[in-house]
Amino acid sequence: MKLLTKTNRYYLLLTTVLFVAASALLYYGLYGALQHEVEEQLFNRQVYLQRRVQRGADLPTSPFEYQMAVSARPRRVGYADTLLLDPQEQEMVPHRQLTFPLRVQGQLVWVTLRKSLVETEDVLAVVLGVMVSVLGLLLLGVVLLNRWLGQWLWAPFRTTLEVLRNYGVQQDQVLSFPPTSTDEFAELNQALTLLSHRLVAEYEAMREFTANAAHETQTPLAIMQAQLEQMLQLPELENPVLATLVSELYGATLRLSRLHQALTLLSKIENHQFADATPVKLDQLVAEKTAQFESLAEVRHVRLRTHIHGVPALHMHPGLADSLVHNLLQNAIKHNHRGGTIDLTLTPTHLEVCNTGPMVSGDPARFFERFRKHNAASDSPGLGLSIVQQICQYYGFAARYYFEPETSLHTLRVEFTPPTTVPAPAAPPAAG
Amino acid sequence: MKLLLIEDEVALRNTLVDYLRQGGYVCEVAGNYQQALEKVKLYQYDCVVLDLTLPDGNGLNLLRELKADGSRAGVLIISARAALDDRLVGLDLGADDYLTKPFHLAELNARLRAIIRRRQFQGSHHIAFRDLLVWPEQAEVFVREQPLVLTRKEYDLLLFLLANPNRVLTKEAIAEHLCGDAVDSADSFDFIYTHLKNLRKKLQEKGADNYIRTMYGVGYKLSTE
Repeated sequence: MKLLTKTNRYYLLLTTVLFVAASALLYYGLYGALQHEVEEQLFNRQVYLQRRVQRGADLPTSPFEYQMAVSARPRRVGYADTLLLDPQEQEMVPHRQLTFPLRVQGQLVWVTLRKSLVETEDVLAVVLGVMVSVLGLLLLGVVLLNRWLGQWLWAPFRTTLEVLRNYGVQQDQVLSFPPTSTDEFAELNQALTLLSHRLVAEYEAMREFTANAAHETQTPLAIMQAQLEQMLQLPELENPVLATLVSELYGATLRLSRLHQALTLLSKIENHQFADATPVKLDQLVAEKTAQFESLAEVRHVRLRTHIHGVPALHMHPGLADSLVHNLLQNAIKHNHRGGTIDLTLTPTHLEVCNTGPMVSGDPARFFERFRKHNAASDSPGLGLSIVQQICQYYGFAARYYFEPETSLHTLRVEFTPPTTVPAPAAPPAAG
Repeated sequence: MKLLLIEDEVALRNTLVDYLRQGGYVCEVAGNYQQALEKVKLYQYDCVVLDLTLPDGNGLNLLRELKADGSRAGVLIISARAALDDRLVGLDLGADDYLTKPFHLAELNARLRAIIRRRQFQGSHHIAFRDLLVWPEQAEVFVREQPLVLTRKEYDLLLFLLANPNRVLTKEAIAEHLCGDAVDSADSFDFIYTHLKNLRKKLQEKGADNYIRTMYGVGYKLSTE
């Protein structure tokens, strides 16, 4: 519920309660006061009559006989309400009456004095009407004012929200807000701007660190590799023992470098450093990649077939799309057996790689874990499927793995729906 | 063939220079952007091997300078940054090729030769090795004047060997050259073995000498003697 609606609700509740209470108070107060006034008048008349009778005069005859009734029989003494027929208007009219005993020339009679309450009620109605309509207008005014204020006063807040919603740290930008005259919002915006400054700085530092770490590690690796390669050319290396040693060292350097590249890629994806997405033609990419793997598959006697039933409309970083298809295919070839098959299916909603391969044990969900190897002695670092999963996560795809024991078919399926893009403007190419 | 090697890492630079000189190139070096800029302004090179990350400047700017001067030198970028953007920008700016560090020396040589071949001889160039004659632009191979029919991979393999005569080529370097740099080399040794076996067989059928030597556990070598 909106903050404004909430506050308004309480305002309204309070105003309504006050409104009802005030109306009741006003009604009973006014009614009481007016009735008191009438009773006082009746009492004055009583006193007047008593004095007049004491002086020995007779009871006066009223021109309006219903205003005074004299009865020889005893009546209930005191004030009471009654309805009397108004002879002119032919309707029952409320009256207040005062009954008291009076000795007139030695004879005890009960005198009832009456006064119409019609004018009292009229006054009450007018006063109440005015008050209630004023209060009602006030209530309506408060509601409307609040609504308008809510829209106008909270506009900067909504702008701030909109800016925040569209903010991504990889845009390399500090948040900026239009100026506002409301202190609270200005403070909020200032705090957010400060926060984004820190975020951008930290993100930049992290990105730089990743880039530097990658660069700084690749350089010594490049030196090692180049020098080992030079070393292999030495005539001394005709000695098979030495040659094997150096060649194993060389192989290990290559593995290290590969591992390093894979980990750098993973951390780059995690840091969202692949913001610029372009439309990717996956069918072309698949064709390219299968061509690249074809000869390898051929040597392994693995049949590689592609079935393209449609092309998904994807926005991806081209490098990541490449890496995704590459790792899927590589995985399918690596964990295959002689005479096996690989079926790659592409539809507008998913990409599926289905390959034969040895039985695997363990939880399928764990295959996506880093350094997860089917065979511990394998040369590969076991990062291929982690990269696949990381790329899928980055773009909101779902990566699923199935295994059918009867046919020993492994299926890895990447579901593109819902089609997602990472909304971010292209970052300028980093200078080095 | 005159090369300029621009690389700031001393150890790597020395190894590369040694290697390139062994390969018959005249190789000059520059360790930073300023030096490199001076040299490219003063001298003509057939090819510039350019590291992108230099202590005092961006290699891409050097590439821009070269192109702005209308230099005829080929440019091969070597960079530790595998970032796709760098690669694209470099190639867009007119670099001939791009190698990501670490790379195989043999690969560097093969690429350099390809660049120089493209730039200097406009296709009218052949490679002669003992009884072999290869016309790279037409992709034709002759053994003692008889045409030799090779598959794409076998041809690539032969060209790679020819680019690095008398050097031990590691299985890893050959695998990456044939399958692209991302193929896990350990997975593809049997693959190289198969192709090499076929290539040897075809060469022998045409009566060529057996000059592809196996270096046990390491790789292969195209022997000149």
